[in-house]
Amino acid sequence: MKAVTWAGVNRLSVEDVPEPQILNDHDVILKVRRTTTCGSDLHLLSGYVPFMRAGDVIGHEFMGEVVEVGKGVREREVGDRVVVASFVSCGTCWYCRNEMFSLCDNSNPNPGITEGLWGQSVGGCIGYSHALGGYAGSHAEYVRVPYADVGSFVVPDGVSDDRALFASDAASTAFTGVDLGGVQAGDTVAVWGAGGVGQMAARLSAIVGAERVVVIDRLPERLEQARTYAGAQTIDYTTTDVAAELRELTGGRGPDVCIEAVGMEAHSPGPQGVYDQVKQQLRLQTDRPAAVREAVMACRKGGSVFTLGVFASMVDKFPLGALMNKGLTLRGAQVHGPRYIPRLLELMERDELVTEHLATHVMPLSEAPRGYELFKEKQDGCVRAVFTP
Amino acid sequence: MANPLLSRAADVGGALLGRLQDLRLPGVGTASAKDDPARAARRWRVVTVLLPADRVDPGDLPAPLAALGDRIEVRVTPAPADKGTEVAARYRTAPSEEDIGRLRAALRASKQLLETGEVLRMDPRPHGERAQTPAGRLLDGVVANAKKEGVL
Ligand SMILES: NC(=O)c1ccc[n+]([C@@H]2O[C@H](COP(=O)([O-])OP(=O)(O)OC[C@H]3O[C@@H](n4cnc5c(N)ncnc54)[C@H](O)[C@@H]3O)[C@@H](O)[C@H]2O)c1
Ligand SMILES: [Zn+2]
Ligand SMILES: [Zn+2]
Repeated sequence: MKAVTWAGVNRLSVEDVPEPQILNDHDVILKVRRTTTCGSDLHLLSGYVPFMRAGDVIGHEFMGEVVEVGKGVREREVGDRVVVASFVSCGTCWYCRNEMFSLCDNSNPNPGITEGLWGQSVGGCIGYSHALGGYAGSHAEYVRVPYADVGSFVVPDGVSDDRALFASDAASTAFTGVDLGGVQAGDTVAVWGAGGVGQMAARLSAIVGAERVVVIDRLPERLEQARTYAGAQTIDYTTTDVAAELRELTGGRGPDVCIEAVGMEAHSPGPQGVYDQVKQQLRLQTDRPAAVREAVMACRKGGSVFTLGVFASMVDKFPLGALMNKGLTLRGAQVHGPRYIPRLLELMERDELVTEHLATHVMPLSEAPRGYELFKEKQDGCVRAVFTP
Repeated sequence: MANPLLSRAADVGGALLGRLQDLRLPGVGTASAKDDPARAARRWRVVTVLLPADRVDPGDLPAPLAALGDRIEVRVTPAPADKGTEVAARYRTAPSEEDIGRLRAALRASKQLLETGEVLRMDPRPHGERAQTPAGRLLDGVVANAKKEGVL
């Protein structure tokens, strides 16, 4: 079958690879109908997650049709049209039972790597490096989905493939931040990053009752989408002092909840950006945390900052004093997909959550390297490239 | 056909993963990086399984732990609150690094068997051309050791 593989830093190819097989009783094999680029893939591509092997199939945000079912699968059958959580979860460990699905104890077959980095390993993720399990990804004609009863969800008839696709990762990640970040009715929420994740965080904040949502980015077409589809106010951080604007907008208090959806390759104008770039290149810090720093400084006293953006290891110049003295709560998480996907599908069915506009570029799998180029360089208004294997 | 440079890279990768555990900042986490080696080797290695203690029989352990037979001692205790049961194991006599790696892998596989009934299988999996570069072989070494390493 055709699949998109990582061939080295900033190199992708489309190759003929063997088809996946059922390996455990709880597996299903999916014929992929839609699979999309995610900001997290950019960190893999650019080599900041150094656990990729040439030949690895990438892709973790996807939906499709069940074509084969392992003998232990109870809830899914051949022909089901399903959307799949990007992280793999066993459903029976303490973390899964407590709905912290991306922290699953049993779904990462290479725990030694992340235990060394973080003190504990986390769950595995489809198509996201050997540090997160080494699963073959979804940018392929077929993909194996382990623990399918836990991680796959039947898409209601009224929800199109194009809409359901983003329940897999972008929208469920955003819901993780909105929910665990503690967004409540009447809150002001600021979201850094207007990619798929940030836009979904803005919209879901409004859905759970936030009174005002502000989205921060520099790309005009993305800020336009945030205004149109999430009803957000927007700030271009290259021309406006973000903290000053947020103070003015919030009566001097600052946002109640700050959601960071940028990640470890944050862009920042000025000396801070140069500093972070140099340190990252010299491997003196692994991640560039500009947006998290800004969120901590801008957040209201006693407020909450949530990092949805992916960070790999160490950051520098973190304003711990502001965090401590202002009494902030700082949290982060990888996506707890199965906790949110059912609710997302309901919201999608009622047209309360639309996602199709994120798919600015739809193309066959064979054109994926071009799709990633557009997505990485944010060219031609690309928000997400979607592949149709 | 075996290229000595490439197979050396894989060995280094495996060793690196072991060393990574020692790179931890002092005082952070629970690894035994600062213990003296004899103490580290004698530490109980513990996993918590989400089952009531009466469902984990020390006399009838899952195959991966049972395979280590009398070489290890095993302790089963209820975990606090709703956390399940702690399964701890250590060697009776001074183990080698290889022995400890085997014990880590056995504990992880046993936990999986008790909680999910299966051990995840990963191969064969779809992949494209695996370029035989030193960096690639290094990662192969890391991955080959990833079940046997870590802070457990
Ligand atoms: N926690 C999870 O489980 C999870 C899941 C999916 C994605 N992610 C992460 O979320 C992040 C966003 O993903 P995405 O798909 O939306 O990516 P994306 O690359 O499409 O969007 C990132 C956006 O951040 C903007 N940006 C860069 N620097 C900024 C700054 N200093 N201030 C404000 N905005 C800035 C960029 O212009 C871009 O629009 C990535 O780090 C990704 O890895 C995490
Ligand atoms: Zn993602
Ligand atoms: Zn689990």
